[in-house]
Parts: sequence; structure tokens; C-alpha cells
Amino acid sequence: MIPSDHFVRFYNEVFKFLDERGGLQSFFLEISRHQELHCLELYRALGIRGMYEYYQKIRKEENCDIELELLADGHGLIIHFKFCQSLAKVLNNDAGACPKYCLHCPGWSGPLDRKAGFYYIKDLVDLLKPECRTWVFDKAEPAMEKYLELCRSGIGERIRVNFPVPEKERMV
Amino acid sequence: MLRYQENNELHRDFHGTTNTTLNYIADHYGVDALKMILRKTGHDVYKSIREKLEKGDASELIEHLNWFFYRERGKYQLTVSEDEIVFEVLECPAIRHLRKLGLEPSQHVCLQTSEVNAGMCEGTPWHSEVKVLEEGHCIQTFRKEPSHDTK
Repeated sequence: MIPSDHFVRFYNEVFKFLDERGGLQSFFLEISRHQELHCLELYRALGIRGMYEYYQKIRKEENCDIELELLADGHGLIIHFKFCQSLAKVLNNDAGACPKYCLHCPGWSGPLDRKAGFYYIKDLVDLLKPECRTWVFDKAEPAMEKYLELCRSGIGERIRVNFPVPEKERMV
Repeated sequence: MLRYQENNELHRDFHGTTNTTLNYIADHYGVDALKMILRKTGHDVYKSIREKLEKGDASELIEHLNWFFYRERGKYQLTVSEDEIVFEVLECPAIRHLRKLGLEPSQHVCLQTSEVNAGMCEGTPWHSEVKVLEEGHCIQTFRKEPSHDTK
């Protein structure tokens, strides 16, 4: 048994293997389908509040420092990973980190959130620092507005979304 | 002393993600590729355990087995002698959690153990063996070759 404590270090080895073969994206979609077991019904039943509940569980079980802000209108959630234990463990690792480790997060969350009817925006910040920010909305307009705001601030290359963005707006 | 100190909450659902990953790699890249990744995990991630085994010191391996199965509330018996470590898992916490989630354990689920253990022992005087007796019940043996006695 790989202890659940050490799962991410195994995951990291899988990513290295897949990255060499151009296989990361397909695998992330498989993980996204798997994660439906834990999230999709909850998200569909409770909307954004369901996601808030899921990340409360993650904050506790994964020992992460996460600031969760449910927007006043109830239609959006900001997830600020101030300390992501997952990447922190991968960095604290004799096997070394896969440089694309962080990409698994938008890789599985984006498609799953889309199935739940959510618009997802991730600022990866720095692939080698255990910190990131995510905005999730249940309406397209505020999501696009947020995306454009982030791009205009000059960090477009750090941003991942799960909804179509007009090419002329894409600042990456 | 353990290289990776883990003392906080557990996210047992990672066993489900491991299960999905085992199936995915085996289905898309073959069982040999899966074995290679697992063995590399044992070899590289658990470098500290391996390097101690090279020197004839099994203390971190023993602590690793004991601590992480204790943390996951596994049922097990650990028997240690100078040249042999026998770790009988009576109820595997990973398989128990998969069943709780309603997931069918991958047919490759026990490769996690056999290949990671083999990776930890690679290039050392120790050899590992895993006998699966039934679902969730196995005997993991680590045996030191007498010819490699470091004393």
C-alpha cells in the first residue's frame, strides 16, 4: 500500500512518466471522471455552496492553508491556497518534482466544474510555489469579467479557464 | 527516523485516485510500465530507506511500515529479527477504503506493495516478497542475504 500520506509523491512519478510521452492531458481527464464520485452530485445539488463544502473537507484532510470566500450573492467562490500541502510534499521529496505537477489541478477541476455548470478560473501563480488562487462562478458574465481583469493585470500566461475565451481577448 | 514526517489529518480518498491511476497506466501503457513507475517510486521517493538498507540498517523501513499502517488504522502484525522483517497485513486500509467508496479494487492494487518494496530494496542486501493470501490480507517479507552481512 502506498500510504495516502505519500500518494502525491507517487502521483508526481506518474506525471513524469506521462509527460515524457505527451500523456498528461488525457490522464487528467480520467482523474476528472474519477473525481465526479466525490464532487459532482454535491456540486449539482448545492451549487457553489457544494464546492465550498468540498474544499472545507480538503482544507482539513489535506492539511492545507486555504482561504475560502463565498461571494455575498452566493454565485461565486474564491479559493486561495495559501499553502498547498500537495505541492509542498512533492517539493519535499527525494525524487524531485515534476515541473508540471500543478497542472493536474486545473486538469481535473476544470472539466468537472464545467459538467456542474461552473465557470472556473485558476491563477497558477508559480508552478514551484505551493500557492494558487481559483475563482468559480455559476454564471458566465462574472467569470469572463474576472478572466479579463486578470489578463489585463499582465498575468495571462498563469491563467487557466474551463470556458471558451475569444481569441482577441486571450492575452497569453 | 522517518524522512517524511506525517502527523496530521489523512485524506483517505487518495486511495481511490491511486486505484484509478493504476488502472489507467496498466490499460494505456501496460503492466510493465506500471511496475516501472512503482519501482521507481520505491527507489527514488524512499531513497532514505533504501540508503539505510544498503548499510544494513532497516530501522526506517520498520518505522515506515509501522507508522503508516497505524495511522491508517490497518490491522497488522510486524515481526522483526536480525535478518528478516515479516509484516502481515490482516486488513489493508487502502482496500477497505476502496470498498467504502464503492470502488472495485484494481487487479493491480497489490503491485503498489510488491513493486514499491522491491524499489526500496534495489541495490541493497535486502530482498522483498509479497504473498497475497486473500483480498486485503498479505504477508510482506524483507530478508537480508547472509552473504551481504555488513557487520
